[in-house]
Amino acid sequence: MTRRLTAWAAALAAVVLTATGCSAGAGNNGSGGEEKRTDMVVAHTAEPVNLDFTTTGGAAIPQALMENVYESLVRIDQDGELKPALAESWDVSEDRKTYTFHLQHGVTFSNGDELTSADVKFSYERVNSDAWTNGLKAKMAVIDSIDTPDDATVEITLTDPSNGWLYDLASAVGAVFSEDAVDDLANKAVGTGPYEVQSFTRGQEIVYAAREDYWGGQPNLETVTFKYYKDPVAAVNAVKSGEVDVLASLQAPELAGDFESPDDYQVVEGTTNGEVVLSMNNAEGIFADKKAREAVLYAIDEQAILDTAWGGYGTLIGGMVPPTAPYYEDLTDVYPHDVDKARELVKEAGIEGESFTYTVPNLPYATAVADIVVSQLEEAGLKPKIETQEFPAVWLEKTFTNHDYDMSVINHVEANDMLTVFGDGYYTGYDYSQIEDAAKKADTGTEEEYVSGMKDVARTITEDAAAGFLFLFPNLIVADAKVEGLPENFVSDSFPIATLAWK
Amino acid sequence: MAGYLIRRLLQFAVTAAAASVIVFLLMQVLPGNAAQVALGTNATPEAVAQLERTYGLDRPLPVQYLDWISGMLTGDFGTSYVTRAPITPVIADSIQVTLIIVIASMAVALLIAVPLGSLAAVFQKRTLGTAISAASQVGIAVPNFLAAIILIMIFSLGLGWLPSSGWAAPIEGFGRFLARLALPVLALALVQAAILTRYVRSAVLEVMREDFLRTARAKGLTKTQALVRHGLRNAAIPVVTVAGIQLATMLIGAVVIEQVFVIPGMGSELVRAVANRDLVTVQGIVMVLVVLVLLLNLIVDLLYTVLDPRVRRAA
Amino acid sequence: MTTRLVASRRRADASLVIGIVLIGIVIGMALVSYLWTPYNPTQAMPADRLQGMSADHIFGTDRYGRDTFTWIMYGARITLLVGVVSVAIAALIGVPLGVLAGMTPYGWLSGLIMRGNDLLLAFPALLLAIVFSAVFGPGTGPAMVALGIASIPGFARVARSGTLQVMSTEYIMAARAANRRIGPIAVFHVLPNIAGMIIVQASVAFALAILAEAGLSFLGLGTQPPTPSWGRMLQESQQYLSSHPMLALWPGLFIAAAVLGFNLLGDGLRDRFDPKLKGRD
Repeated sequence: MTRRLTAWAAALAAVVLTATGCSAGAGNNGSGGEEKRTDMVVAHTAEPVNLDFTTTGGAAIPQALMENVYESLVRIDQDGELKPALAESWDVSEDRKTYTFHLQHGVTFSNGDELTSADVKFSYERVNSDAWTNGLKAKMAVIDSIDTPDDATVEITLTDPSNGWLYDLASAVGAVFSEDAVDDLANKAVGTGPYEVQSFTRGQEIVYAAREDYWGGQPNLETVTFKYYKDPVAAVNAVKSGEVDVLASLQAPELAGDFESPDDYQVVEGTTNGEVVLSMNNAEGIFADKKAREAVLYAIDEQAILDTAWGGYGTLIGGMVPPTAPYYEDLTDVYPHDVDKARELVKEAGIEGESFTYTVPNLPYATAVADIVVSQLEEAGLKPKIETQEFPAVWLEKTFTNHDYDMSVINHVEANDMLTVFGDGYYTGYDYSQIEDAAKKADTGTEEEYVSGMKDVARTITEDAAAGFLFLFPNLIVADAKVEGLPENFVSDSFPIATLAWK
Repeated sequence: MAGYLIRRLLQFAVTAAAASVIVFLLMQVLPGNAAQVALGTNATPEAVAQLERTYGLDRPLPVQYLDWISGMLTGDFGTSYVTRAPITPVIADSIQVTLIIVIASMAVALLIAVPLGSLAAVFQKRTLGTAISAASQVGIAVPNFLAAIILIMIFSLGLGWLPSSGWAAPIEGFGRFLARLALPVLALALVQAAILTRYVRSAVLEVMREDFLRTARAKGLTKTQALVRHGLRNAAIPVVTVAGIQLATMLIGAVVIEQVFVIPGMGSELVRAVANRDLVTVQGIVMVLVVLVLLLNLIVDLLYTVLDPRVRRAA
Repeated sequence: MTTRLVASRRRADASLVIGIVLIGIVIGMALVSYLWTPYNPTQAMPADRLQGMSADHIFGTDRYGRDTFTWIMYGARITLLVGVVSVAIAALIGVPLGVLAGMTPYGWLSGLIMRGNDLLLAFPALLLAIVFSAVFGPGTGPAMVALGIASIPGFARVARSGTLQVMSTEYIMAARAANRRIGPIAVFHVLPNIAGMIIVQASVAFALAILAEAGLSFLGLGTQPPTPSWGRMLQESQQYLSSHPMLALWPGLFIAAAVLGFNLLGDGLRDRFDPKLKGRD
């Protein structure tokens, strides 16, 4: 009995010793070695539940797949400019309704199929069919007809001229699929992009392998891995201990200071299309009264919120437009921080001490913002009651779909989403008729009319106190100092990996 | 004995069946429409209705229940309508991870607790015994996630010896596997060891008071010799019982540790599935965990019967 | 024998005293927080954020400039609330069931109760709490109820075995022979005799509830903002571990102290109430 026990103990002790012995090597895994690495590990926060953005909402899937696996006819570059992608060029008709795209030559899908105009027609008609259920599909509703005069030309006719459509085309709705590879989109992604998905482990990682036959030339890295960390601190720890080379979006900005040694790390601060919106239910409840909404806007101090909740990273905007958009205008002075005025308005509206529901999705920035917003609102005599809701499930159902809320906070990440967020029937409950005509005119008008028209729309929304615009979400990338080609700005749908390289 | 075994197995089956009904019903009151969540922000009501039809969510509850339970009995946990993938592989993968962590932690915990607890008992009235008792009291009071954070700070961020997160299966390299296993196991094991030390101590104390030990000592054996030769088996009974019960607790307690270390175990899958309103997956995981706990209780009961002659005779 | 008794009594007293002192500190802070705290817990003062220990803020301040000591005081309330409510739920349901199972002459009833107990045992506290947070939304309420329900089996078992012991005493046998009704026997004879064991169990369950609540809040499924809670403080302090470790130290310390306090109290009481168990931990 005793001897057997001792043997067991010895064996177990050996195992423990091996564990600590091996670990030294494993921990440094990757950082050593003279030879240039051909792989890279990138950490992300929001994980894709599957690979099919045609039927599944959310930003995570397009972020992983667009430009890397799937491509559209056009793309948006780091400065927010339109650039050719699968279409090497395009012409617009006199009436601005017909677009003629000339496709790149020698493009193949990762399954070997050759790209022809028929694939484009198939893909875009599919968006407008029942096969697509993702709400994004509305962006393609403006298409009237698609013609394919030859294999390399696509002619798309719109019902009305649209200044926004070509930009929309650069997003996931513009992805071109191969007709015989759409059976199992949730698990198999076949596109024309520089990489193909080598393996996808749900909730953990996506491994991309470079395609040798990519039409744009073989990318720098052979293998790229996206790893998903729900907990921002765990992601940071992974960078520090060398398991991850790039943290695509630092969700714990207070930790940026930990990466100050420039020999080891780089912290890149870029911009995004994400407006962190303190939304208020304009349609019913306490905030149906404009005075109440104004009181909130005077009560909140956006700079203090940014400093305490997000480490001071990010930009104050005051409206629903990011500075990279052509129709941006600084609206931060429309409702300055003025607690006295806020108190006055609270009294005028007769809502002093009246309790209201502030639904907070359980996302890092939202919970960080909530504490300070509550403090500022209480100072003005308002009485918010926080209700934390799991994101996506509960927030989507209760706040977003059922509009069962008074106040909420969410980062609206999509490009050109002003008209959606304050559109008809959206959860903000904004009176769309205020901007409907102006918006329509802007979209169908000339480029100048578009810019000035959209500026007016943005100003109207802000002046109506339709919502609080806390700050523009920063794109904070933390990476090994030797990584280059990082996508500094997150202004499209995707996190492009083809440009990544080791110095 | 055989009669007891059959009775106990039957009991297990009935309890598991009752638990499955509870789990199923709990899932029905879960807020958040699964189809809505799967389809995203702007899904049309028609699309939602269609998805519900596709996955049979519009059928009467008893039919859905029977469908679920009969699938599970044949090892098929169904298809998630969020990930569009079968659930069985998810459960099969994650259960291995959790079991490896939990069993390794229990082994390490016993490895720490048995010697320490015995020492504490033998040196009951000396400084060493008191010190061990005090240390174990403090150890029990430390939440395991706090231990995990401290371990990460020391061994990954400070010394850089071990990775702070992640998981590697043994086939990906045994060194990699052990390196990623070490910290989570240690975090769970340290707190667990503190709990077990107390039980080992009192079990050994109990045994030390038994007559046969006095006899053995009277025959000229030292205290330790007598204890090792005769006392261990008797002391093992309560320790095995507690270890079994603790194993069940750890199975769930590992949730927090799995989150801290980003380990794809049952707990992580459960928390993720809850957040995604992935009902079928939640149902499956909760059911598997419940059955595991029941199974552990069953094993403990049976072991108890085998180890303790008095109980065996009574049964 | 006497020396051993004295020694164990002395140790039990030491446990009791330390336990009572630790719990007293926690209860004291919670009570005082109703009358006075150094600052308003929810009021952010961005200018004072992330300060170290000072005369103004003896435990420092957090990322919003809120006073950590104030938060610790308020956190004591939630800690105690969770403990009290979950233990109350467990005891109020578990004890009567256990006593009934121990006293009833009907084997099927006692069997039914104990099988129900086994069924509950299959849902460990944390699992039940996660499912509850999904069903009812995350919050202190669902957490307390889940922890309470999960602790029922412990109380039922202790109450049943205690009752069985009491029922076998000659005194009760005599009372039953004299045709006394079962209710009065339970209230006047059984309950007073098993009260000690129940209190010990309550103390242990209390400590477990504190740990579980901290774990849940750490997962984001427990107490929600802006209510101060030690577990949530610990979770939020993670970002600052390398720059401001004190933010994690205080809640960690107080969680451990509270748990230790209740465990020691339980140990001390056990030794007091049950002389047969003397010398055991």
